[in-house]
Amino acid sequence: MSELNNKMQGITLGLTPCPSCGKLSVHSDIHCKRCGKALVLRDYSSLHKSWALLITATILLFPANLYPITMLVNRGQIRHDTIFTGIVHLVESDMFPIAVILFTASILVPMLKIVGLTAYLIAISFRLPISKQKLMIGFHIIEWIGRWSMLDLFVISITAALVNMGQLLDAKPAPAATAFALVILLTQLAAKVLDTRLLWDRLESKDDANGNT
Amino acid sequence: MEQECADNSVVLCRSCDLVIRKRALPSGVRALCPRCHTTLYDTPYCSINGMLALCLTALLFLLPANVLPVLELHFLGSVRTTTIIEGAMAVSNQGYWIVGIAVLVSAVIAPALLIWSVFCQILIIKYRLNSPFFRAVLKRLLSYQGLLAQLSMLEIYMISILVSVFQLSDFADIFLGMGTFCFGMLFLVTLFLQREYNLEHMWSVLDE
Ligand SMILES: [Zn+2]
Repeated sequence: MSELNNKMQGITLGLTPCPSCGKLSVHSDIHCKRCGKALVLRDYSSLHKSWALLITATILLFPANLYPITMLVNRGQIRHDTIFTGIVHLVESDMFPIAVILFTASILVPMLKIVGLTAYLIAISFRLPISKQKLMIGFHIIEWIGRWSMLDLFVISITAALVNMGQLLDAKPAPAATAFALVILLTQLAAKVLDTRLLWDRLESKDDANGNT
Repeated sequence: MEQECADNSVVLCRSCDLVIRKRALPSGVRALCPRCHTTLYDTPYCSINGMLALCLTALLFLLPANVLPVLELHFLGSVRTTTIIEGAMAVSNQGYWIVGIAVLVSAVIAPALLIWSVFCQILIIKYRLNSPFFRAVLKRLLSYQGLLAQLSMLEIYMISILVSVFQLSDFADIFLGMGTFCFGMLFLVTLFLQREYNLEHMWSVLDE
């Protein structure tokens, strides 16, 4: 055990945690002894899957923000709101805290997620000299806050079910809702499928040459 | 070397694959990866009986939280109510079925499956059902646990209800009902249940 220093990775010892149950296994076992799942030292294809999902999500981000996400009929007047105009409207009607919550969940979080994941994937794919620690902290934040984008869709579903009284008052979802739902789904998947250990493998050689982490 | 390490003395960081020697932790402390700050392990504080009590409470609130209205709107003498499921249906009926499914899965189906799954796991462990059939069931349930936990978004739905109340109070009178109370309780109980629950610890039951 003496050769166990603070830089050693599982891959050099031929050890890998089971992808399903996390049990530490010897890679040559092929299948996990506890849950039977196939063991992988590194999932190199995860990088391509993650890129594909992220690019699709980025494309969908445009319709999600440019098209209206809700339609409101108030005393015969029809108003279409995009995510942004909806938030502006909230600010105008003095509901500032709600506006901040929705802005964070619907605009800031998806944008941050896409920018963050792109930086992360670029760093792995092109071996850019970005601090791995910083990238990883960003990645944990992305994983954690990503779910909160669902907030807007929940609000839309509650509103659409409650407010439907014909020409007097009526609220309906509009086309951007589907695009937005897909952006959330795809970005969550892009983070989920990625084997983050690739970052630490690929940049390791470069850092070692520099003699520091 | 390989065989020597594949015991309990060493743990690998699942984010960066660093080899870390495992140490005993004081309770309430979690070990983070020194290199990338991913949570490695914490002291299991799973109490089977405590979780069983939380689970039963959650099951009690599950049905009323889903079938009783979470919000009530009074507008010019007419009253509208909505449950979570009706909300999902309302968007689906407008043709936004992807949104409908997303709402249904994250606010109704995943939380319900999560609670039932934990309940079954606890029963299997508590009554030491050691036959191959129950071991297989436990294995299956545990491998879907992470996915279910990620899909269930009760806390976000809770905030959505509050946001809707403030938004709609501009147009009409909004009332919270029994359904809101049951949903809030379901959210709280599930929150504590998930804090108490430790997947690592549950898996280790299968090692015995
Ligand atoms: Zn790590």
